[in-house]
Amino acid sequence: MSFVEINEVSKSYGQLKVLDRVSLSIERGEFVTLLGPSGCGKSTLLRAIAGLNTIDEGGIVVGGQDITHLPPKRRGVGMVFQSYALFPNMTVFENIAFGLKMEKKPKQEIEQLVNEMIATVDLKGKENNYPHELSGGQQQRVALARSLVKRPTVLLLDEPLSALDAKIRRSLRNEIKEVQKKLNMTTIFVTHDQEEALSVSDRIYVMNHGNIEQSGTPQEIYTSPKTEFVARFIGNYNVWSREELQNTAFRGVPAEGEMFAVRPESIRLTAGPAAEASGEITADGSIVRASVLGNVIRYEVDVSGLAVTVDTLFDKAGQEHRLGSRVTLHIPKDEWKAIQKSPSKTGR
Amino acid sequence: MVRRSTHSRQIMFLVLVPFFLWVIAFMILPVLGMVQASFQHDNGQGFTLGQYIKSLTHPRYLGSFRNSIILSLFSAFVGLAVATFAAYSFTRFSDKVRDRLLSFSNVMTNFAGVPLAYAFVIIFGMNGMLTNVLKKMGLDFLAFDVYSWTGLAMVYVYFQIPVGILLIYPALYGIREEWKEASALLGASGVQFWYRIGFPVLLPSLVGTFSVLFANAMGAYATAYALTLSNFNLTPIVIGALVSGDVYPREELASALAIIMFVILIVTMLISEKMAAIARRRS
Amino acid sequence: MQSKLSTGGKIWHICVIIVVIAYMLTPVFGTIMFSIADEWGGILPKGYTLKWYEELFNDLRFWQAIGRSFLVSILSTVITLIVMVPAVFVAATYLPQYERLMQGIVLLPFALPGIVLAVGLMRIYSSGPIPLTGTIWILVGVYFTVIMPYVYQSVRNSLRSINAIQLVEAAEVLGAGKAQAFLRVVLPNIMPGLLVAGLLSISLLLGEFVLANMLVGGSFEVLQVFLFHKFSISGHLVSAIIVIFFTVIFFFYLIILTISGRRPKAKPVAIAEEGDQA
Repeated sequence: MSFVEINEVSKSYGQLKVLDRVSLSIERGEFVTLLGPSGCGKSTLLRAIAGLNTIDEGGIVVGGQDITHLPPKRRGVGMVFQSYALFPNMTVFENIAFGLKMEKKPKQEIEQLVNEMIATVDLKGKENNYPHELSGGQQQRVALARSLVKRPTVLLLDEPLSALDAKIRRSLRNEIKEVQKKLNMTTIFVTHDQEEALSVSDRIYVMNHGNIEQSGTPQEIYTSPKTEFVARFIGNYNVWSREELQNTAFRGVPAEGEMFAVRPESIRLTAGPAAEASGEITADGSIVRASVLGNVIRYEVDVSGLAVTVDTLFDKAGQEHRLGSRVTLHIPKDEWKAIQKSPSKTGR
Repeated sequence: MVRRSTHSRQIMFLVLVPFFLWVIAFMILPVLGMVQASFQHDNGQGFTLGQYIKSLTHPRYLGSFRNSIILSLFSAFVGLAVATFAAYSFTRFSDKVRDRLLSFSNVMTNFAGVPLAYAFVIIFGMNGMLTNVLKKMGLDFLAFDVYSWTGLAMVYVYFQIPVGILLIYPALYGIREEWKEASALLGASGVQFWYRIGFPVLLPSLVGTFSVLFANAMGAYATAYALTLSNFNLTPIVIGALVSGDVYPREELASALAIIMFVILIVTMLISEKMAAIARRRS
Repeated sequence: MQSKLSTGGKIWHICVIIVVIAYMLTPVFGTIMFSIADEWGGILPKGYTLKWYEELFNDLRFWQAIGRSFLVSILSTVITLIVMVPAVFVAATYLPQYERLMQGIVLLPFALPGIVLAVGLMRIYSSGPIPLTGTIWILVGVYFTVIMPYVYQSVRNSLRSINAIQLVEAAEVLGAGKAQAFLRVVLPNIMPGLLVAGLLSISLLLGEFVLANMLVGGSFEVLQVFLFHKFSISGHLVSAIIVIFFTVIFFFYLIILTISGRRPKAKPVAIAEEGDQA
């Protein structure tokens, strides 16, 4: 049995089903991310694990103990909120010490544990500051320290980085990952930002409309989406139905499958027809648009009316394909993924 | 399902009990008492609609309603007009000046009731400061009799203005500068902006503030009472005279009048709440 | 963030403000002048004197009236805060249906001006099992309803601005019970708001007349009633009382502004309706 088990959890708000028989299992020390658009139920699930929401059906087991009916303070979970929820009337030290005070630990022990944690999250010198005197990144670290100092069994993070600038977000998520690894802390992270999810997670659960669409390692999710929703949500996949492909001149399309997804970076472009290796699906088209995105050039290629996105690494200046030029697309057969069609209410 | 500890739920309800008890004791019970009394005969017995009939047909009482309503409509309208112009001018100044002006308005809302009535008498009364000054300067047509309806109306307008300013200011502040700029670029003049955009946007708040000012004036007692005791024929004054006058107290009639006032005020309040909701939805 | 105004526009606004302020201040200044004037028949007083204030300060009845006003105002305010703050917190944080009920209830006082309430209160509490009229307690009781809307609004806004629900959730996850969460994490952060609400309430109640006059009148004479009784005696004396009253209110507001100035956020806007002073 896994360290954290979520079994068939359901929850509705009136008529709206927010969680639909969701099941997860997480190993000890794993960093798992719940990824999905707003309204998919990821925060609701997280709060249910913390005991801040009730659930209608199902069970939650942590470390072998069934916590489904326990109040938050008896669950042994730690939580970092999106807005940090730091206590404005307390200093950094007092905020971090709060949980230990609630456990009625002796003063000396509290002092030692808190100072250790302050060093771990790199906030030395800020012990006597108040939350409003700190930067966003610093506040985030206080929120993290406050939960971690109690050595929770599971750490829950509810979109902790969404209030920060892109640059700080990137450095902070690495810091969080480091602390997590150091403490071997089982962590559940919620976000709608796929780049974030892909970069820090051991495993990702992609959620949509209260259901889990797909779970797997970041590589698996990124390179092998299973459903149309995941393909459209992750990366910049080209997603086509068989109908859309019918009138186009793609050569070598597999006979089975209703819907397909192809990563833009797995498509090779040659100027004009070139030797077509077997095991490749090919097509001819012309460049309609070319955008330099920095380290990548994104082309939109028109293939008999179908728009194809192709990304090429911009490693040599002066080698770009010109607008209007004719090119041939080469797609390796195993990058041509068959995916499940998602119900029509999907879509971004 | 996570069970809320019943113990903590019980404590939560315990915390709410004093509040509700108090509300019942000092608001609900008096109202119920008045409702009961309003349906009784003058001797406190039986059941009759007589008190209400008298309230709404007897010239004295009907007149008091008429006077109260007219005075309230007038002071609310004039008060709101002045307040709107003043509050709008407030918005044109810097943050600091604006805050000072608003604080000034806030303090001035306390200058009402008995102190205000007497201040007006001192200044505008028969022998008042300003009256004498105007007489000496030969401008006595400007002086007014503070003990007349005109005088009373002036005092009412005076205490409505600060309240009006505080209530209408947020709505005026919400008229974005960008809207004016956009409309100017699209070819509209200042007047057209106010006619087509500014005023319609303000309308719910204006109506809402008007309702509050109306209710404020309807319920006012101290000002008129301080000026001439029971001589103004206004509903609050009449009610007061009926329960504490020299003649024997007529609780039942007073209750009927009071309940009618209560109903009028509830309706006014519902209107103002509705307007506030509309204004909130828009922003 | 105002766009540049034409000088003509600015002049208009300055004029409007000057006219309004002058209008509002005329009775104030007039009263002040009258309170320090010896006799007044013509345009200017015949002389200046502080004898009216002297007379007041030597009058025991004056001090008793002020004392009673403060006593009943402070008592009512403190009791109201003690009853309402936990109640509003519990309703806002844990029991949303009760919050909605509360929001309806706190609107009722606007439909129940002093004179209307007085009729019902006299009926219920003059005789029978709980005779309260004539004592300070009926005032304390009804003053709760007078200040209740403002206290509610203030507490509600404070709770919202500190995001009380999230703070309590964080505290609960960290192991605090509901009472601990309230005392340690919510109360300290709404203190400034409570102080302001308290001061505003006291100011409001100091100016209340109709309930004080009808329900207790002479048997517990407060400042407003004292003022009322003195009018027939001397206009100068009365203006001195008015000046003193207004000075007290002014100081309260100074304190309020200092407290709210310290916070970076919303300013308190309390509306003292004439109905409350009536």
